[in-house]
Amino acid sequence: MSSDLSIKFDRVSKKFSKSAIQHGLLRDDLVMFFKRNKNVDCLKTDEFWALDQISFKIPKGSSIGLYGPNGSGKSTLLKLIANVISPTTGKITINGRIAPLIELGAGFHPDLNGIENIYMNGAILGMTIGEIKSKIERIIEYSELSDFISTPVKKYSSGMKLRLGFSIAIHSEADIFLFDEILSVGDEAFQEKSLNSIQKLLKNKKTLFIVSHNKKRLTGMADKILILEKGKIKWNIFD
Amino acid sequence: MYKRLYKYKDLFYILIWRELLIRYKQTAIGVLWALIQPLSMMLLFVLVFGIILNIDTGGIPKPLFYFVGLVPWTFFSSSISASIDSFVAHRNLITKIYFPRELLIFSRIMIFLADFTITFILLALLIMIYRIPFSMDMLWAVPLTILLLLFTTSVGMILATINVYYRDVRLASAFLLRLWFFATPVFYSIDTLPIKFKLILFLNPLTYVVENLRRVLLENRGIVGWQFMIETVFVLFLFILSYRLFIRLERSFADVI
Repeated sequence: MSSDLSIKFDRVSKKFSKSAIQHGLLRDDLVMFFKRNKNVDCLKTDEFWALDQISFKIPKGSSIGLYGPNGSGKSTLLKLIANVISPTTGKITINGRIAPLIELGAGFHPDLNGIENIYMNGAILGMTIGEIKSKIERIIEYSELSDFISTPVKKYSSGMKLRLGFSIAIHSEADIFLFDEILSVGDEAFQEKSLNSIQKLLKNKKTLFIVSHNKKRLTGMADKILILEKGKIKWNIFD
Repeated sequence: MYKRLYKYKDLFYILIWRELLIRYKQTAIGVLWALIQPLSMMLLFVLVFGIILNIDTGGIPKPLFYFVGLVPWTFFSSSISASIDSFVAHRNLITKIYFPRELLIFSRIMIFLADFTITFILLALLIMIYRIPFSMDMLWAVPLTILLLLFTTSVGMILATINVYYRDVRLASAFLLRLWFFATPVFYSIDTLPIKFKLILFLNPLTYVVENLRRVLLENRGIVGWQFMIETVFVLFLFILSYRLFIRLERSFADVI
């Protein structure tokens, strides 16, 4: 892959199952485990394609908006980029470090305080201890949580958690940022600030992937909009 | 494995630090808990197996005999029961962001390795109190500990991985560990058995570790070289196998967890 590409999807599909129990009979699972050529293309009952043969290339420094109705596969696409889930078929190539801003604050440990959670989250985002140390002042200041930073996170409001999560992610040295419906972080002032930061990321040639239901917002921030419908894709240059 | 984990070494340190923080928050006597369990078990064993049932310990002072078995056993059993949940308990992280998930298990086991070290220091004190003379053979305890660590990590990784798919593992584990306890010579010795049986029993690496810790620490005897080689190869093989199983199934953790 050439070095100016940041994300490449090559006929990527992802199959999901609707059933509650995520394993088959022990016997079937064992057979599947040792089978070499799995017949992945056909669907079993209560399975469906969340994403179907998706291909695209995204150059470095571009910002992509992702738009589509509920259940169209937006979150699945983000999770595939974040390498949280793997594709059923197809190949994904990623160039650079990823900061997923998906359900911010969900990874916080409730018994640990703000500072401890900053270290924890920062390290998961791939920052070294030294990097976190040098940035922690800025992270706290940005999140506007200086007064509560030694309080266990379980006592935070959901807005506070979002702000802290956003602040950590934005200060990580990632190359690709994934935003999932979080453009409404905090109050109006904080939203303003977060939008400014996103603009700054763009200026620094970071790749952005933004999911939103708000078309107007997306047009303001994304140079290209990807529309998903029932797991299929159509490109669109918004006007 | 090295390439995969090197980038995340800071995360590993932070996970260890976090486990320690969580563990000792709101506790009164903190680290002392690491000593209380094996010590009280040892006293109980002296009473039940030593005095009431009068099981022969081959001339070794009874408290020492039991404690040498309990130190590795406690490490193994607490590591295993803590590992089994480590993926499922971190569902929130696993479904949001990528990182090498085995670090969750490794960091937990490191905490118990710290406990192990503390109890081992107590064991060393007991050995001195009973005036067992120091010999170079005692240093074999280090490679034996590494074997124990590798074996514990393998079992923990296998069980935690399967537990993501089949929560039966959690339910079976308490019972399984109890069986395993009796299969390991913590309160008895297989020393007098013929070598044929011993080799079969050494398929449980814990048996090997406990028996040989007694040999080198309490009986002033060395280790049988070829037995150690076979055991090492066996444990390494198991480790590689469990790691590969984990890597294979980790890809779909977020789908099923």
